[in-house]
Amino acid sequence: SRMNRLNPTVPADQYLADSNVLFYLNDAVIQLLEHKEEYNQFGVIRYFAEYFSSVKNSNHVLFREFNYIQATPHNRASFIRVFWKCYRQIGKSGDLLSMLEYRSLLQLLCPDFPVVLVQSAARIAVMDDTIDCLMSFSDFLYAFQLQFYYQEFLDCVLVIYQDLLAGKSPNTVIVPTSTSIEQIPSVSTEENNKEERPQDGVEPSTLVECIDALCDRSKHSHPPRSCMREILKQTDRISYYSFLMSLAKQEAINQTIGVLPSKAELLIDPEMDQELDKLIAQIVVSPSSNSSSSAVGGLKEVQKKASPRRNIHHRRRMEVESDGSTEETDSSEN
Amino acid sequence: MADKEKRRSGVNPPGMPAGKATKSDSDREFLSQAGVGDLLRGAILKMVEARSDDPIGFLADHFCNLASVTAAGLGGCGDEEQVNTGTVSAGAQEQQRLNRALWHLRLAHHSQRSAFSNNVRVAYDLLNLTGPQTCAGEFSEGPDGPCTDSPAGGGGVRGGLYTQTLQCLCSEGGVPASTSAPLLRRLHCHDHEAVPYDVFRHGVLTCAVFSDYIRQAQRLYAEVCCPGEGTASRALCMAVLGTLKEALETSQGSDSNYCANANTKVNSCPEANVKAIRYLEASAKISPCKLAQAMAGAQTRGPGGNMDAKEFENAAAELFITRVKVVS
Repeated sequence: SRMNRLNPTVPADQYLADSNVLFYLNDAVIQLLEHKEEYNQFGVIRYFAEYFSSVKNSNHVLFREFNYIQATPHNRASFIRVFWKCYRQIGKSGDLLSMLEYRSLLQLLCPDFPVVLVQSAARIAVMDDTIDCLMSFSDFLYAFQLQFYYQEFLDCVLVIYQDLLAGKSPNTVIVPTSTSIEQIPSVSTEENNKEERPQDGVEPSTLVECIDALCDRSKHSHPPRSCMREILKQTDRISYYSFLMSLAKQEAINQTIGVLPSKAELLIDPEMDQELDKLIAQIVVSPSSNSSSSAVGGLKEVQKKASPRRNIHHRRRMEVESDGSTEETDSSEN
Repeated sequence: MADKEKRRSGVNPPGMPAGKATKSDSDREFLSQAGVGDLLRGAILKMVEARSDDPIGFLADHFCNLASVTAAGLGGCGDEEQVNTGTVSAGAQEQQRLNRALWHLRLAHHSQRSAFSNNVRVAYDLLNLTGPQTCAGEFSEGPDGPCTDSPAGGGGVRGGLYTQTLQCLCSEGGVPASTSAPLLRRLHCHDHEAVPYDVFRHGVLTCAVFSDYIRQAQRLYAEVCCPGEGTASRALCMAVLGTLKEALETSQGSDSNYCANANTKVNSCPEANVKAIRYLEASAKISPCKLAQAMAGAQTRGPGGNMDAKEFENAAAELFITRVKVVS
């Protein structure tokens, strides 16, 4: 879509479809109708200005439902960024958390975030299925990024992988056009239970061929082919999760998605630290203050009655109080 | 980001249709009363016309601009309304006009030629809105100020504003000031001069094409660059620049008035066909296969060492700039 400008022959409807703009306009109108009394005072123009500014600045996904945050690549990338920014402190303190704890953190930002996605990400991060296996923030984050951003593509790769494992010829491998995430855990758990030994897995060259073909016909975004080829060139046999683990660690893929810094810089952000300190201080002083006078002005008032406020306090408290002990994270959900 | 509280909050969870049937009528009424339909239709039309690379950013700017215009009590987003002279200082007023003019210039890519031309006209008229009283004040620095001309139109955009406009266009287009400086010298008008529309349009168009050209040159360098390493071999760069030069020369032919670029559309002149053929030839000269040939040749002979991105950019910029005639 980068080249739209230089290619004026793209028809208008194609341009609109590629841009996802209609999706956002539709959502903006639904949101407007949900809160029409409040927005009416400030004018709808201002409302749309705020809405699209927040989409542009990637602030729009916080506390939204899962269907919204996964609806466009931009939303997915924004959510990954928000997750990183919110919980960077955990990485900084060096805490290791379990899959369930990461799920809790994710659900503070998106209440209906499905646990299966968190499971898959954890499996990529540690190649282990045990429920209380601990992992570092950065390991989980990059694995989560890969899983969440390329969800559909990875689902297809898993199906291919399992077919290859079962000895089906790659030509007969049929890639489903849509897979539901529900079906993934059961299959892969099964596979995991078989105790992966190094010689398990499939022939990388065959997998490359199938993935290439998949990229050709898939309409979903996929990691750069060169990265995948590079990884598959390096071994004789490869299992699904070791392949994904290598992908998750690829800086080139991280750059393609373009919202997280490299691993070395993941935890450096003095500006954010300052801002966080200020915020925490503010909340400790006046836990009930609602204020904040910014450009958003009166629109902010609207948020007062929305439930996510509870989450914000909740999270802050957690950050302030827990500092390492993760018991509360566990119990904070459900 | 964590600190920003979200308005995004209050959506009903999916599967909670809050009385849709009864609500839909009042919803429709609300939308039509608030003029949402017209507002969105207008936005989409503008967006499709502009074909921006960043549609979301475009809409954000579009609505913000509309909001600020209405907030300033100027009533609607019409392009011709006079700027409120009440409390705003003349300097701030001028800045506001410049911002709005730039906003109009950003609306459509220059390859959308008729939309772009309209926007240039609108921007020109906005910048030309120097009322007599402002003009008599702090603005006439030169010996013969522009305000001696017609009072309403100001007789042309002041040179200072024109220069500022071009600078903003280049820097917004991602061109470093050091790269655009030689071009701006060629297009320069004195601060006190009244810039006629034709010169203004030529300057704006040249800067817009130049920004595109430099971006492409940067991309070209990135392609020539070895992955992983920061720099590209000098021999390869020279070969690429040579090919680029040849293509520019071909596209320009004998007619030296126009900035040569594959994007530059042919004017409706008698030799349109000749020009079109020349552009075709030029694009063939810079085709991937030609380029590959040149690069393959360069790898065996040609100078050693590397060329950094900035040097390449400067060299590419120079090829362009020497083809821009000096505005005097």
